[in-house]
Amino acid sequence: MSCTRLTLAVLGAALAAPATTTAQGYPTAPPVAGPVRPMPFPPFQEARLSNGIRLILVESAKQPVVSLSLSFAAGHAYDPEGREGLAGMVASLLTKGAGNRTAEQVSATIEGVGGTLSASTGPDFLTIGAYVLAPQAELGFSLMADAVIRPTFAQTEVELYRTQALSGLQLEQSDPAALGDRFMARTLYGSHPYARRPTPAAARAITRDEIVAYQQRMLRPGGALLVVAGALTLPEARRMAEASFAGWTGTAPVAAAFPAPPARSSRDILLVHRAGSVQANILVGNITFPPTSPQQYAARVANQVLGGGSDSRLFAILREEKGWTYGAYSGLNRSRGVGSFVATAEVRNEVADSSLREILHQMERLTTEPIPTPALEAALGALVGRFPLTVETVQQVAGQVSNSILLGLPADYLSTYRTRLAAVTAAQALEGAKAAIRPATAAIIVVGDAKVLLGGLAEIGPVRLVGTDGTEVPADQLMSASVDGPVLDLSKVVASRDSFAVMVQGNAMGSQVSEFSAAAGGFLYSDDTRIPLAGVEQSTEVVMAANGSAMSVTQRGKVQGNETSVVLTVTNGRATGKAVGPQPPAGAFGTVEIDSPVPSGTLDDNTVTAIVGALPWSANASWSLSMLSSGSGEVRQIQLAVTGTETITVPAGSFEVYRAEMSGGPSPVTLYVTVAAPHYVVKIAPVGAPIEIVLVKRTTP
Amino acid sequence: MPRRFLLLVTLLTLPGTAALAQEPARVNYETYALPNGLKVVLSPDPTVQVVTVNVWYDVGSRNEKPGLTGFAHLFEHMMFQGSANVGKGEHFQLIERAGGSMNGSTANDRTNYYQTLPSNRLNLGLWLEADRMRSLAVTDSNLNNQREAVKEERRLRIDNQPYVGAFQQAIVSIYDSATCFAYGHETIGSMVDLNAASTADVKAFFDLYYAPNNAVLTLTGDFAPAEAKALIQQYFGSIPRGQTPPPVECNQPFNGGERRLRVPDAKATLPAVAVLYRTPPAPSADTPAIELLSSILGAGESSRLNVALVRDSRAAVAVQALQLGDQRGPGALVALGIANQGVSADSVEKLLRAEIARVSTEGVTAEELAKAKNTYRSTQIGSRQTTMGVAEALQTANMIYGNLEAVNTRFAPYMQVTLEDIRRVARTYLQANNSVMVLIAPPEVTP
Repeated sequence: MSCTRLTLAVLGAALAAPATTTAQGYPTAPPVAGPVRPMPFPPFQEARLSNGIRLILVESAKQPVVSLSLSFAAGHAYDPEGREGLAGMVASLLTKGAGNRTAEQVSATIEGVGGTLSASTGPDFLTIGAYVLAPQAELGFSLMADAVIRPTFAQTEVELYRTQALSGLQLEQSDPAALGDRFMARTLYGSHPYARRPTPAAARAITRDEIVAYQQRMLRPGGALLVVAGALTLPEARRMAEASFAGWTGTAPVAAAFPAPPARSSRDILLVHRAGSVQANILVGNITFPPTSPQQYAARVANQVLGGGSDSRLFAILREEKGWTYGAYSGLNRSRGVGSFVATAEVRNEVADSSLREILHQMERLTTEPIPTPALEAALGALVGRFPLTVETVQQVAGQVSNSILLGLPADYLSTYRTRLAAVTAAQALEGAKAAIRPATAAIIVVGDAKVLLGGLAEIGPVRLVGTDGTEVPADQLMSASVDGPVLDLSKVVASRDSFAVMVQGNAMGSQVSEFSAAAGGFLYSDDTRIPLAGVEQSTEVVMAANGSAMSVTQRGKVQGNETSVVLTVTNGRATGKAVGPQPPAGAFGTVEIDSPVPSGTLDDNTVTAIVGALPWSANASWSLSMLSSGSGEVRQIQLAVTGTETITVPAGSFEVYRAEMSGGPSPVTLYVTVAAPHYVVKIAPVGAPIEIVLVKRTTP
Repeated sequence: MPRRFLLLVTLLTLPGTAALAQEPARVNYETYALPNGLKVVLSPDPTVQVVTVNVWYDVGSRNEKPGLTGFAHLFEHMMFQGSANVGKGEHFQLIERAGGSMNGSTANDRTNYYQTLPSNRLNLGLWLEADRMRSLAVTDSNLNNQREAVKEERRLRIDNQPYVGAFQQAIVSIYDSATCFAYGHETIGSMVDLNAASTADVKAFFDLYYAPNNAVLTLTGDFAPAEAKALIQQYFGSIPRGQTPPPVECNQPFNGGERRLRVPDAKATLPAVAVLYRTPPAPSADTPAIELLSSILGAGESSRLNVALVRDSRAAVAVQALQLGDQRGPGALVALGIANQGVSADSVEKLLRAEIARVSTEGVTAEELAKAKNTYRSTQIGSRQTTMGVAEALQTANMIYGNLEAVNTRFAPYMQVTLEDIRRVARTYLQANNSVMVLIAPPEVTP
């Protein structure tokens, strides 16, 4: 009791005089670091099994779990040509039936005890891992041993995997990051095996015999590395491993040396066309050196300055200063052979070319200017200070030990890592940057909508255009198509004059009248909108080419007494002109000079009601349309998709309509379009706003 | 080893027949509150050399009003834009230069901020959290810049990804946005609302939700409690208490009828089907059984959905079932499958429904239940291996389950779930009239 009273009294005193006592004590600058606790690399033990397997144990009884990993030099770099994906297929099938258990029995057994068992491949290594509660360690060892020594490779499992792999490859086509990685590997490594990635043709071709042969040739105890982490002692781990792997012998397979990756002499851009992409995934890269290179420490420091984290130049400039991206980073990838450097950013389409220029500029700066002392100290602080975070759990410690052994690093690598990094000077970092980063001959991959991106990128370097499957796409063919998929058929659009009422919460507040007619070599669209209570009046005229694309836009009006205008022409793939009006994001009035690239076939967003008549409508239709927002000069990929049919009544009558959602623009809109041809709009409803624009009268000459 | 012991070992390690006995190691902690209402939780662990400073604010997308969706998340970005003594971008820099890692995230129920640091930099983590709690810099330029970053994040994570946007729509579709707007809208928010957010909105949000009485500060890892308490008093003690935020309303009926949605996804290459069943808030007594049931249905290769849809019928390239919603509001059990090449979404839906119906009528086996319990056990143990994992577990227990000790006591009810419990929750919640079926449709013609 007295203790509580005393506490209350102290708290009461603090409450009574907070301003003086605590304000004085509150630091107005970051507090200085406390003393660093000396930290040797966490201990681990080592042994060699009788069949040659190297065993590493990182012991910890903190939680009752054990993790195991067993690695072989059998990664996907060893896939035979034309059988890309073989190593990955072997890895996946190891756990789909082994010893006297079927696939279902293996998964039921390991999952029954709450454990996991799975194998995967990287470029160099095939690794099988198990995670079990400590009392099931023996079971973990025995399932793992069955998987690598006695896999069944049942034909049904092979076929099931093949089906999955083919679907997986199709899914990958929809993932811009995976596409970027695949094309970067291919570009950097050429015929070097690190370029190999699974293909549909190889997935179809691989036979069970090839799978069996690969496992027998490549998965041998000689040269294998077994890493155990968790609540086991060395004698226990050793006993379990010897018992599980008893009778398994064999020396490490002899592999041919890899050919050298191609030398690059110039910089070029591979543009991977992903229709409708709302972002561009940019990757800039080059090959580097083996992990044992004396430049590795200096290069790592230089990379930290460039793009290693959120304190680095790419992040600070592209995200924090420019707001072009959610994140921009660079990294050094280590393999047992030649590694690579890659800088990445996912940016919105309009700033793709500016972002790429900035990344290249920062790479150049890093390789020509010494790093100023504060930036060097920051990078060293980050890399050296981070170390305790990388060895927080036993699994992390095991991963570090395993990695250094597999990469062939010297025995003192982990114990000297921090002191070697901390010793890097600015001059050494510059040399490290030059060794690891080569902007003049970098490979550039951009995954995105080529119709929007090509013009800007072509000004930076030569562009080669491919589809997501890697086949060449002729640029002129792509750029002349007006839309993806079904092409607009303007002949289906009937000349008309459509009068709409603007309804706000059910009350008629204004009108919009639009007209569409044929003109010399194309079409003319005009509209006139008046919403007196909102102080809005506006008239628009758009001259359209024969394919519907905008050639010129003229708009005049007033919004609450302020004059608005747009005068814009599209020639030679560029929109130029001027817009006066409310500007995003806050809606303040301002003038925008417009000078931006416009892919051919781009429509003006004012003409949507006319364009709907040119589309082939059906209950499942969806389109991606390149559309110009003439008020800002931005080109956006607009998605238009039918989400249902219904019957609606508007002043002009009752109509059977398609309900279509239009998204990707400044705000989503629902369009209601007649099911009967010729198709035309009978209602427009901005999503989430109490406004509807409904058809009152339609006249056709 | 004598034979009888060998036999005993063999029996003990026989898989699948019984739930095992290991429990996650107990999390020890002490807790107290400052006079300004800041709740502090300290859980030291001297075996590591890192410390995690973790702050949860009791605000998330569920506190957002119509017209301001995405605001909690936009605000989270603002928390890294500087404060009275920390310049713009300096938060990242100071943590990074100390070798630390940090981030924040926004969920329906809470916004969290955390840094894991070498233990000699505990003072830096605490001071950065205190400085922004007392004096966030809310400026037009910071707001505009972060608005753009959030829009890019939306494009990166949702608009430019297959299935993600459609799946987000599916999740919110289980709620009636009229009676439960709190959970019936997407955390990332709409572009329109993000554009509309003003500096005044940001300031008001900060004043209401980012006061010490609406926050919990948790420290885990390598620190001396006495020293930590002194620093916390010094840094946080003088921040004034704020108002108590208004409660969140969510009226969510069960068995209110089936909904079916078709969501076009221009980025998808294969059709997908998601069936969502409405489930009660996380603290409900039914949650352990529902969660184990979701594991039996969809966790792992030997799960029912994987065996039926991926392996036996080969209808799906991937399936999953999971219980969504470690939150105070209602959640959902989701079962989803991505169709294999050449398989229709209809077939995938029929198979999903059939497997789920089978649980209601036939129940599950003792082996399946034991497996689900062991998987839960192992996941729980695994998630406690890092200081960050322990900090989040403490925060979750405190906010979502209403008492800190739930970090240790929540485990037992999972182990007590019976076969009858599983069947009962299946019959109660996994019914068509309590579900939303979402068909995610790729474009008709693959480009």
